[in-house]
Amino acid sequence: MFGVGKEPAEEEIISLVSASKHFPEQWTVEMDDYPLDLRWSADGLWLAALPSHGRILVLDEDGNILASLPGHEGGNGAISWHPRRAALATYGQDATVRIYEMPPQDPAAAFPFSKDHSGPPSPSPSLVIPLEKGWAERVTWNADGSLIAASSGRTVFVMNAATGAIEHRLSEHKSTVCDIAWNPRSPRELTSVCDGGARLWRVGETKPFGHFDWGGASLIVTWSPDGRWVVTGDQTPSVHLYDVRRKHPLHIQGYEFKVKTLAWEGNGEWLASGGSASITVWPCTGKKGPEGAKPIQLFGHLKEVLALDFTRGDSVLVSGGRDGLLLLWMPHRSTDPALITRRASEITTLRWSPDSSSLAFATADGDLTLCRISKK
Amino acid sequence: MSKRTPVTVLTGFLGAGKTTLMNRVLNEQHGQRIAVIENEFGEIGIDHELVINADEEIFEMNNGCICCTVRGDLIRIMGSLMKRKDQFDHILVETTGLADPGPVVQTFFVDDDMKEKLAVNAVVTLVDAKHIWEHIDDADEAKEQIAFADVILLNKCDLVSPADLDRLEARIKAMNGVAKIHRTINAEVEISKILEVGGFNLEHAIGVDPKFLEPEYPFEWGGNFQLPAGSAELVATQNPDPSMKLVFLPVSSGTEEDLAKAREQAVRIFSSLEVTEAAPGVAVNCDAQLHELMLTEGEMRWPLTVPETGYYAAFTEHYPEELDLKVIVSGSEVLAAPAAAYKPDHEHDEEVTSVGIEESADCDGQKLNAWLSALLRDKGTDIFRMKGVFSVRGNPNRTVFQGVHMLLDAQDGGPWGSRTRKNSLVFIGRNLDREELNSSFRKCLA
Repeated sequence: MFGVGKEPAEEEIISLVSASKHFPEQWTVEMDDYPLDLRWSADGLWLAALPSHGRILVLDEDGNILASLPGHEGGNGAISWHPRRAALATYGQDATVRIYEMPPQDPAAAFPFSKDHSGPPSPSPSLVIPLEKGWAERVTWNADGSLIAASSGRTVFVMNAATGAIEHRLSEHKSTVCDIAWNPRSPRELTSVCDGGARLWRVGETKPFGHFDWGGASLIVTWSPDGRWVVTGDQTPSVHLYDVRRKHPLHIQGYEFKVKTLAWEGNGEWLASGGSASITVWPCTGKKGPEGAKPIQLFGHLKEVLALDFTRGDSVLVSGGRDGLLLLWMPHRSTDPALITRRASEITTLRWSPDSSSLAFATADGDLTLCRISKK
Repeated sequence: MSKRTPVTVLTGFLGAGKTTLMNRVLNEQHGQRIAVIENEFGEIGIDHELVINADEEIFEMNNGCICCTVRGDLIRIMGSLMKRKDQFDHILVETTGLADPGPVVQTFFVDDDMKEKLAVNAVVTLVDAKHIWEHIDDADEAKEQIAFADVILLNKCDLVSPADLDRLEARIKAMNGVAKIHRTINAEVEISKILEVGGFNLEHAIGVDPKFLEPEYPFEWGGNFQLPAGSAELVATQNPDPSMKLVFLPVSSGTEEDLAKAREQAVRIFSSLEVTEAAPGVAVNCDAQLHELMLTEGEMRWPLTVPETGYYAAFTEHYPEELDLKVIVSGSEVLAAPAAAYKPDHEHDEEVTSVGIEESADCDGQKLNAWLSALLRDKGTDIFRMKGVFSVRGNPNRTVFQGVHMLLDAQDGGPWGSRTRKNSLVFIGRNLDREELNSSFRKCLA
């Protein structure tokens, strides 16, 4: 079983090679509540930080707060940037999708910004789209920026991103939708997951063109960057990979916990998965992908891995865990990690900037920190 | 694992008083921050607490095992609650009247995030004392809600006679011998009795319910009558069954000790094959012979022959109240004192029962593990809940287990201190074989 192999002792953590000098911390900002997600705008200029409750922050690389967006009543759900320009969609339990243009045109938003985000501008959204009330889990922009999808209860709403008009309602989910993801190679294809597995939808069609019901609940979903694989992390500790062209499901079991984090290497050849204190990295190339292949297993965390992200270019993986460890890996060169930092509380989310020059991570106590990679 | 937030699961049929109790919990000044997850009645706006309305959703497990089935809605909402800086002191989960408590409770045992951050403090079941009889024999949900409970509130007690309440309580204790039972009107109960149960209350349960580990009896009721020599009369007006067995036997005094002594004699008499049928009008003798009253429509009378003035203990197969059975002397009713209710052995073949085991010798940890694993694997579907405090050889501390179906949670229970080392365990479930459970556990003793 993954994760039941070598578990490092406390002294082994202390003896880890430290990478901290290569990751000087630039700034830390306190978020209103437990950090759910961090997302960089496509150009890498802006970082959006989503807490579970309270204000959604948009910061620049120097930690200046560009905008402090009002949180959604009842709790925040998700954020998503436009794939090409600096427009941010936010969504939450008040069942509204709000779209903000960055930087805000509001004169009050003039520089310089303050790190004290009690006073930064709170711009008005350029668009507010009310949806039917239901559990709000995800909002996501499609690959060409023309459509936005949001899940509310058992329905996925697909909206025109320019007008806010609801163009499609994708239903027939047997339980609340847990996650949705667009095909990065096709702006009209998306997948949704819930109890009853994954459904593949083509916008404009009322029935899914693919339906993989494996008899259990899937919690998260992602497409590979090349659009070949749809991958789910499941409630029953497992991962499902669906080869969309072959409509071929592959079930990988042996995880210790339900799988809450997945990350693709930039070109889609490798998939890193959590689901235990170890990280399992699967090869997704060749006709069969991971089927019959031996994964790379990375041991270093003391507790469950909660967040993973690869750099886009050079396959550097960062992981954050319930143990507060932030570890750096180069899985194709070595299975030994380097320690970036250790925090007192769990690392809930992390994200490389698009050019891999900065790493943002956040901890359960609400601290958001940015490290800039030292070139030395 | 020490800072897990306690969760109270509130169950009960529709109309049993769950909403009344919830409102009481929310409005009372108890100084705790409580989050309420409620399923049935829409949102309740309360300033300082959070109320979330949830659609009931089962997450099915691909292995098809009902024992692993969890509630997806709870995982989602609890997950959201746990992702707050300002944590709650307590979480109260209300289930729908028809909810199977299994998946609700299992969620806290099975789901990784729930296990890490939350602990079931207690399952509290509200029982409508007047209307429960309509469900208790037929509805699996009602039986399971009682079987899963740590605390049972017999609510609406003002609508039911004390005798009927005694009968109901005895029936419930036969199903779940561990639960603490409170009688309430309008769900009025000290909040501490709901919120501060402390999850694992086996010792407490045994303390408050000494009958729990006792054997079951072939009769439901016993009472002592002081009768003059000569002729008295038995009068009944109800016939819930075609017949009812009873025995009168002489005792030396009207004390509880004498009633207890007579009880053992009565067990032997009830197990004998000699039964005298007594249609109305046929005399019943106070001579330690088993009689079977044949019940008919309308008022029934039996002459009761009393050989000499003194005390006589009567034991009846059912509660006398079920027949409206009275002892009459010279036109007046004679009341029994003392009287006692017994756990009957004739109601549970296919029903929900509790089996308690107590052994003083240390057990062998490995054998215990193997036994529990095999038992829960084979019988987990029928075992709703299991609780145990074990004295394991070589371990200076108590080992505390609690389980739901096939799932077990073991904890270090701290030092024994001044308490006597012993193993106490209880199973609540269907089709439980008391003898088999006892004998197989004894094989775990070191």
